[in-house]
Amino acid sequence: MSTATLTPPARPSAAGRLLRRVWRQPLPVRIGGVLVGILVFAAVFAPLLAPYGQNDLDFNAQLQGPSLAHPMGTDDTGRDVFSRTLYGLRIDLAVVLFITYVPLPIGVLMGAIAGYFGGKVDLVISRIIDITIAFPFIVLVIAIVAIVGPGLTGIMIGVPIVAWALYARLARSEMLVLREQPFMLATTALGYTRRRAILRHAVPNLMRSSLIYSTVDLVVNLLLLAGLSYLGLGMQPPNAELGTIIAEGQANLLNAWWITTLPGLVLVVFGVGVGLIGDGLSDGELRGGGA
Amino acid sequence: MTGEPILHVEGVTKTFGMRRTLRERVGRAEAAEHRAVDDVSFTVGRGEILGLAGGSGSGKTTLARCLIRLVEPDSGAVRLGDDDVLAAKGADLRELRRRMQMVFQDPYASLNPRMTVGTALHEAGRVHRRPGSEDADRFVTELLARVHLSPTIAARRPRELSGGQRQRVAVARALAVGPEVLIADEAVSALDVSVQAQLLNLFLDLRDELGVAIVFVAHQLAVIAEVADRVAIMHQGRMVEIGDAGVVLRDPQHEYTRALLAAHPHPDPRGRAGVA
Repeated sequence: MSTATLTPPARPSAAGRLLRRVWRQPLPVRIGGVLVGILVFAAVFAPLLAPYGQNDLDFNAQLQGPSLAHPMGTDDTGRDVFSRTLYGLRIDLAVVLFITYVPLPIGVLMGAIAGYFGGKVDLVISRIIDITIAFPFIVLVIAIVAIVGPGLTGIMIGVPIVAWALYARLARSEMLVLREQPFMLATTALGYTRRRAILRHAVPNLMRSSLIYSTVDLVVNLLLLAGLSYLGLGMQPPNAELGTIIAEGQANLLNAWWITTLPGLVLVVFGVGVGLIGDGLSDGELRGGGA
Repeated sequence: MTGEPILHVEGVTKTFGMRRTLRERVGRAEAAEHRAVDDVSFTVGRGEILGLAGGSGSGKTTLARCLIRLVEPDSGAVRLGDDDVLAAKGADLRELRRRMQMVFQDPYASLNPRMTVGTALHEAGRVHRRPGSEDADRFVTELLARVHLSPTIAARRPRELSGGQRQRVAVARALAVGPEVLIADEAVSALDVSVQAQLLNLFLDLRDELGVAIVFVAHQLAVIAEVADRVAIMHQGRMVEIGDAGVVLRDPQHEYTRALLAAHPHPDPRGRAGVA
């Protein structure tokens, strides 16, 4: 079962092990992994892969359709949409990973604490969760952007302030069940500290459902980021971000469909890929030993 | 084989309040009381095995949990040696819990599914700085040998083990912290009969080799008859009878004990009138 028992002659690189592990998963997870893998690869190596700079103007090639020279066409100032998409994806993925996986552990921990202790602790944390979820989110982000100035910083502060609450609610309800499990009672019986019981025994068992939910959250956050940038709260021009590319292309939607559609398609591919992985994860145990 | 008393239990009572109807809940009415454990007293000697029997809902498990305060008793006293368990707090309470370990009924739920056997066993020893726990491999191997398991088990996770193996691991984890009293709460009830017999022998061995006292909770009198030096019978939260195993099981004084013995299925139809 576990990779340790195989003891391969030459220890494969970390990337090689990851690839092997992905390859043993069910088909949908594999497909999702390949789709997301390609996008992540493209994002990481954007400066090498992009045929043009993201802000290179070319007034001899405005609004050209997809061709060999411009795989995704050009926009109304002759910028290469493919290059802009690659750079945009790079920023988007980095920000989306941040605003999804920074609040996750915070939320799980808060939920675990609320569920483990119950009583007044639970009451206080649960009310904070309720208030956070009820708070009008866009208003909060606008307020933060007003303070720190326009750009991605506002989003990277504003989203985690709110997003932890959903994970906390999820983890809390699971903790209520988990704390009655004999192995959690055993942590008390064994004379472990509550800190150890929560961090070492409860949290690893609560992470799974939050990680599955996070695959939905990733897509939602990517769309949110695109949406906020569309509203002018996110990435500032001229630098590319998928939302701003799509927003700028809107004016030419009828005569230059590629500016909005092709970057939009990239969003879709990311959503489908992450969704497939999430589905596969929730269907059953990941194959190949623990964690 | 029975030394001086190590565990004293005096007048332990636990009441669960239940607001049954919506009206009671909304009105915060005085809750209907249910006495799960009602004024129970007994002692357990060093190296003694006390069998705790009773029907479903008789309060056996609640009583067992009161002893290490997984459930807080409302009143009464529990002393381990000279230490007051119910008054202890913080590090003192954790130390008292270390000295009284528990083995749970469901071996499928009593081990953390995300931890390998070796990690779980070593953690228990390390937390309490048990002698020998500095050398993880040796510590784990010795514990596994105590419960007659192969050292190769250490790398496995609970889901790769059988029920009997898991329960042995649970026992090993309890032993890892060096307890003086072991509370086995229906520890063999979920296992099939042949595995049950092996575990019962294991408990007897542990008593003989380590001198731990064992409070052995079970609903099957046959199981209790197998291991217990003394037997206590619980009925509706009260301890109705306590005494030497041979005496109680052969010549029960309380009518509930007689009913319990009569209700017990006997493998030989001709012996039905007799005693298990």
